[in-house]
Amino acid sequence: MLRRSFAGPIVVVVLAAVVGGCGADRDALTIYSGRDEALVGPLLERFSEETGIPIDVRYGDSADLAVLLAEEGENTPADVFFSQTPGAVGYLDEQGLLAELPRDLLGKVDPKFEASDGRWIGLTARQRVLVYNEKIVDEADLPESVFDLTQPQYAGEVALAPSNGSFQDFVSAMALIEGEDVAQRWLDAMAAGGAPTYADNNSIVDAVARGEVAMGLANHYYNYRFLEEDPLLPSRNYVFPDGDIGALLIASTVSVVESSEATENAQKFVEFLLEEEAQNYFAEETFEYPLASGVAPSPELPPLDMQSAPDFDIDRLGAELERTTKMIAESGLLD
Amino acid sequence: MASSTKTHRQRAPWPLIAAAFASAALFSGPLVYLVVRNLPGDASVNVAAAQIVTPLRNSLILATAVAGAATVLGTLAAWLVARTDLPAVSLWRVLLPLPLVIPSFIGAFVLLAAFAPGGLLEAVLRPLGLSGLGQTRGFAGSFIVLTLFTYPYVYLPAQARFRQLPPSLEESARLLGRRPVATFFTVVLPQARSAILAGTLLVFLYAVGDFGAVQLLRYNTLTRAIYTTRLFDRPVSLALSLLLAVVALAVVAAERALAGRRTFEMPRGVRPLRHHLGRWRASAAAFLTLLVGLSLAVPVGVLVWWSARGIVRGSTGGADLVSALSSVARPALNTSLASIAAAVGAIVLVAPIAYLTARYRSRVGDAANAVVVGGFALPGLALALALAVVTLGAPSPIGRLYQTLPLLVFAYVVHFGAHALRTSQVAVAGVPRAVEDAARVLGAAGVARFVRVDLPLMAPGLLAGAGLVLLSSMKELPASLLLAPAGFQTLAMKIWGATESAMFADAGLASLVLILVSGVLTWALVIRRGEAFV
Repeated sequence: MLRRSFAGPIVVVVLAAVVGGCGADRDALTIYSGRDEALVGPLLERFSEETGIPIDVRYGDSADLAVLLAEEGENTPADVFFSQTPGAVGYLDEQGLLAELPRDLLGKVDPKFEASDGRWIGLTARQRVLVYNEKIVDEADLPESVFDLTQPQYAGEVALAPSNGSFQDFVSAMALIEGEDVAQRWLDAMAAGGAPTYADNNSIVDAVARGEVAMGLANHYYNYRFLEEDPLLPSRNYVFPDGDIGALLIASTVSVVESSEATENAQKFVEFLLEEEAQNYFAEETFEYPLASGVAPSPELPPLDMQSAPDFDIDRLGAELERTTKMIAESGLLD
Repeated sequence: MASSTKTHRQRAPWPLIAAAFASAALFSGPLVYLVVRNLPGDASVNVAAAQIVTPLRNSLILATAVAGAATVLGTLAAWLVARTDLPAVSLWRVLLPLPLVIPSFIGAFVLLAAFAPGGLLEAVLRPLGLSGLGQTRGFAGSFIVLTLFTYPYVYLPAQARFRQLPPSLEESARLLGRRPVATFFTVVLPQARSAILAGTLLVFLYAVGDFGAVQLLRYNTLTRAIYTTRLFDRPVSLALSLLLAVVALAVVAAERALAGRRTFEMPRGVRPLRHHLGRWRASAAAFLTLLVGLSLAVPVGVLVWWSARGIVRGSTGGADLVSALSSVARPALNTSLASIAAAVGAIVLVAPIAYLTARYRSRVGDAANAVVVGGFALPGLALALALAVVTLGAPSPIGRLYQTLPLLVFAYVVHFGAHALRTSQVAVAGVPRAVEDAARVLGAAGVARFVRVDLPLMAPGLLAGAGLVLLSSMKELPASLLLAPAGFQTLAMKIWGATESAMFADAGLASLVLILVSGVLTWALVIRRGEAFV
């Protein structure tokens, strides 16, 4: 009978906590963040402390949160949408769920990294790179262009993440610049050569670092995170030179939700993210390229050469994604 | 001796039918949403055959293979623990259910880190002149990972049943000269069939609905197709989700037919027969060591390695172990609260359905059964979106539930109610009619009879069900991400965020805490309590 008295109270306490534990702060600024708590959590708390504006943050996958926000529609509690990729935010923009940002905020960032309708703004840039294992591949043997990866000597040696948003953005850009059939042929050739596929950028960098695969296409900052965890890893970044589309720059973005009743605070939040403090934080903690306030990137990063980076307006990516996902499916990379 | 406990002559009392109906109505929300969203609107959905055939076939092959393998492993482990003189039985009883708590996205990642080319195993073997295991992807990898992390679905109910089986039949068989192995297959197994099949069904549904493992290990299943189409091809994504639910319902029906109506009386107070393993003792221990080694020790080993590496280098956010651990304390508490509430809620909500289906023939019961079990096969994302839309569209008292803890707990209950349902049905069926009748004759009526006679008899089965709901809720991710109140972080959410940012030390620590908390809760609420009744 003594044993009986053990679980009973636990259950009662739990039920009381659940019933009593509802009710979030209704006056708080609600942020849907496609960026991870581990990376941006401290920054968001700093905003709250500095401005006295309470915040409620929902972290999740950018695309999942975009779908959620679209389902919630007018009833969404979200005031701000913070996205990893232009794709997810482009989807919400098309649904008419985002509000136009004030001109003075838009003026802080290169128009290449903003929506042409002013409904989202880029915060940081990520560059597409070729991650390679320096124990397997000699730097001198790396290709000049992402298009060279379809040559026989690279067949089966380059990892791709076909269901990943950043890879899709890269394919969209390729299709827009070089034409849809060029992009489709590139995808088909990669698939025919037996390019190994992975779930996401993380898995690619992980596999390259282990030596499971020699090279892989990923975003630049993942490898810096991996090296932070284990500096002995043999994975290195290689940036395709001379404006090659393989070195595409994409942006993490922020936007204000149209139905928000806290537009003013939401805009304050956007402004905070564009100021020096936040931009410095991104540079130091997330190894991304700050897009505003003239903040320099982390000294560990190669300087971002805007001149040689491909000239491309990422605003055009949102509308392309549906076609891109179909092209990727047709190539057989998803099978 | 082996008389049926089910009488078809009696009609179910109407309050029971009403309660089961109400409960099923609560469970049906997400399914109704999917059906409504799939009703042809202006543009009918254009799903190419290729988009369906291969993923569907892959899903079915994978889920069937995993269900088969997990059934064999889980049953064998359960029998060894419940019915033999295995060394260190208590230790096995705590360890064997635990792999269930490892989220498949972290399980697959960790096993890759251990066994994939260039992984930790290879680093260990290289000095010895051996190489690693080669490719670990696609079907083989998904099959191994899912089997290793789902066998407890079979182990838990099978173990509960084995512990309750009366020794008399087995003793007779033995006295008549049957060898132990033959006795197991002809006497023990048939008596445990319904419990084992209940677990097999859960494994199948888990495997068919899993996304984390197949995505990391690159096996093209329905869940992956649902995921890749979720943003830019929503009609296809919704149609495929509905297809997944239909597959689940078909399998539920098949299992109901297979499990049959043969159940057995279980006299209470008789210790089950314990076999002397003799010279097989070492082999049995070796088998369990291998099983727990691969499904628990290797993952824990990799997680410890990540954490230790981070602590040594000071790369865990706060630079030292103490601050890293304190950042996990709150999520650990949140996870425990929500999961315990879900376990209790699930047992209570499915009770009328379990009673109705196990004791009477009833159309309402069959439909309710299907609705509850179907909730398990739905992708967590579809389930969460459905609950979001339903609560947001509802009038005030329900509408206010959106993004509150009760709604999250309810999502767990809907998602994992199936765990509690099948084990509850088995438990209800295990209460002999004769005992109830005797109680009735002796004057114990209604509620009193239920509490004093039925409940203690059902307790081990119910607790096994509650344990399954608890462990599954603790690792749930997609619904937690979308439905948890803002600022309410669970351990699975924390682990996911850390792995997304490649912060392996943080992910490792949080995962270890998840496994530890699950172990303690399983022991305190399931194993200890279960013991009290046997």
